[in-house]
Amino acid sequence: MVKLGPPEAHCRTPTYLRGTSGEVVELVGHYHNPSLLAFHKPGLPKVWLYRVRFKQTSIWDQYKGSERDCVMADLYEHWLMPTKEQ
Amino acid sequence: MQRKVNDVGGLPSTPIDHEEHDPTFFEKRIDAMLMLLTSPKVHAFSVDALRRAIEENTADDYTKRGYYEKWLKAIRQLLIEQGIVSEAEIIERIDAIKKRKN
Repeated sequence: MVKLGPPEAHCRTPTYLRGTSGEVVELVGHYHNPSLLAFHKPGLPKVWLYRVRFKQTSIWDQYKGSERDCVMADLYEHWLMPTKEQ
Repeated sequence: MQRKVNDVGGLPSTPIDHEEHDPTFFEKRIDAMLMLLTSPKVHAFSVDALRRAIEENTADDYTKRGYYEKWLKAIRQLLIEQGIVSEAEIIERIDAIKKRKN
């Protein structure tokens, strides 16, 4: 699930995904932390980047398209939290 | 919910202007400046810092300024933050150029 709460000073996670649960489909890689790079820091320790698939119907209340329509977003581990059901 | 000026996904909007134009001389210069400043050899600042500086615009500035104008404003801010140039030096240089042109 994408974390709720106020965005950090530099956050690449769109508001429309916050509080929404999705499915991790790919581990993209291990990168320098953009939240730290943004403030001229070395960006260490490195953080994992996940590719997450969200159903359009779980993002938009009045979504009229297909139930199968999805949005993919690349999100860093510190912007995600485990979903309670698991 | 609190959101940044750039974080507009899903908000009501007027139609998006899809009209294309050839890059202007101003836009090419700003692009070249950024590519040089962020190149591994120079690394004056990171692209992440550029994005953060752009996100620090007020909603009004963010809407009114063009894409490359926001880059230019951010470049200026970041060069000062990194101590590469000072605000006073920039103003001094602008004054000198103005005098030369008059």
